[in-house]
Amino acid sequence: MQFGIFTVGDVTPDPTTGRTPTEAERIKAMVAIALKAEEVGLDVFATGEHHNPPFVPSSPTTMLGYIAARTEKLILSTSTTLITTNDPVKIAEDFAMLQHLADGRMDLMMGRGNTGPVYPWFGKDIREGINLAIENYALLHRLWREDVVTWKGKFRTPLQQFTSTPRPLDGVPPFVWHGSIRSPEIAEQAAYYGDGFFHNNIFWPADHTKRMIELYRNRYAHYGHGTPEQAIVGLGGQVFMRRNSQDAVREFRPYFDVAPVYGHGPSLEEFTEQTPLTVGSPQQVIEKTLSFREYAGDYQRQLFLMDHAGLPLKTVLEQLDLLGEEVVPVLRKEFAKDRPAGVPDAPTHASLLARTAGTAGISEKVASE
Amino acid sequence: MKLVVVSAGLSVPSSTRLLGDRLAAVAAPAATAPEPQPADTQVIELRDLAVPIAHTFTSGFPEGELAQAFESVAAADGLIVVTPVFSASYSGLFKSFFDALSVNEPDALTGKPVLIAATGGTGRHSLVLDHALRPLFSYLKAIVVPTGVYAASEDWGAEGLDGRIERAGNELAALMAGLSSTVPAPRRDSFEEVTPFEQRLAALRPAGE
Repeated sequence: MQFGIFTVGDVTPDPTTGRTPTEAERIKAMVAIALKAEEVGLDVFATGEHHNPPFVPSSPTTMLGYIAARTEKLILSTSTTLITTNDPVKIAEDFAMLQHLADGRMDLMMGRGNTGPVYPWFGKDIREGINLAIENYALLHRLWREDVVTWKGKFRTPLQQFTSTPRPLDGVPPFVWHGSIRSPEIAEQAAYYGDGFFHNNIFWPADHTKRMIELYRNRYAHYGHGTPEQAIVGLGGQVFMRRNSQDAVREFRPYFDVAPVYGHGPSLEEFTEQTPLTVGSPQQVIEKTLSFREYAGDYQRQLFLMDHAGLPLKTVLEQLDLLGEEVVPVLRKEFAKDRPAGVPDAPTHASLLARTAGTAGISEKVASE
Repeated sequence: MKLVVVSAGLSVPSSTRLLGDRLAAVAAPAATAPEPQPADTQVIELRDLAVPIAHTFTSGFPEGELAQAFESVAAADGLIVVTPVFSASYSGLFKSFFDALSVNEPDALTGKPVLIAATGGTGRHSLVLDHALRPLFSYLKAIVVPTGVYAASEDWGAEGLDGRIERAGNELAALMAGLSSTVPAPRRDSFEEVTPFEQRLAALRPAGE
């Protein structure tokens, strides 16, 4: 099972000091957080994509390429890549380039974003959101699998005998996750292709997350990719920890109360009861995270949101120490217990390459017989 | 048969709640007549749900008790909705409840008989029924009972209110009885009725491909 962090890349004033970091500080802080993730033994760093203040990460592959050069093991990913408003040709090329530079240590997550105005900024129509996600991804899927593509669709100029470059590393297309909170159509899309499905459950009650994941698992089996239990599921999580849980609550409350997404609403206590947010000791985080399995089944990737709402870099790095030293080692051990043998790990470049080689070996064997 | 009263009254006791109870007392037995057992009646007091209603606008999902209220409304065979008049319209709390309901369950009121009622300090606000409540529930695809009931302070001691309550309650009951005798269309559940992906892909394919 993979553990990692995902960042929104928000530039938010620290409510305890009133100070707002500069864009340069925030961008460098995101890099420092990614490097720390590798240092403390996490598996994945994922960045969001936004094209409006107060967010900075508009160019994910630039950032991930830089981080790739300064890390050895970390898998670089996105949370999410806008499949609606980005040109699928450019996504194919940018992420194939990243895949080569990172020696395959990357994957990506498709999303539709949550900012309506971003559509017209890129010449798209928000009313076509789902259709853009479907058509663009269908093209992207082909561009990574066919060397020469002739294509015609509704939302982009046709392609005649087009080859996107560079070709995927070792001929293995990057693994793709599809992220959605409330659209069953996207769970269906992920299932159709046999791709991963990520539910960012951090602001939502468990029963909703459960239904989305059940739908994905059942449709994954329907399309013949394996059993429902073999589908590739990722979940979000959101934690703030101190050794003593009262200290965690006291320190996080001023950030929670005015946080851009959920501030000025339910109290911290109500919100932690209703959603996956955990504010407390490492042991409480372990218990809450293990409980996700009760409604999501055995899953493959757990990403935590650690660096939002104006938390200072120093605090975030301390949080990552706790996550890497005290939480994740226990989670690895506990999640491995009673995990059925048929449940796969999240695909990586190495595992996909081995699978391709295996398939190629079989077809050669069949051909020679 | 199930009847749900949604009352946006704020004081205790509340004339808004009283009007809802009076309407339910007529509609519940009439809806099931000649059976002796009246329709099950549940009253939802929005005052008790004011905080969870506000929270749906910041958090996006209904908390426990509010989620149960949404389920009750969606499962009802008929609704009586009663609001005090604030600033020439329904109260903000009343509107917020139906805003939050329609975000979470867009078809909760589709085809459902709804009796609209309102209370106010003076009879000069009585057109609030037809200028504010009726369009709201038409928009939500409800079947709005022809007679709405408005009760001003002076109506509680005057002739006429009883007759209007009687007429409106019986109209609601007739719609509930008539509609429940036909088999209701199953509510579409997007989790159980998935459009197969090939269909979505095919819909985007240019003609002639």
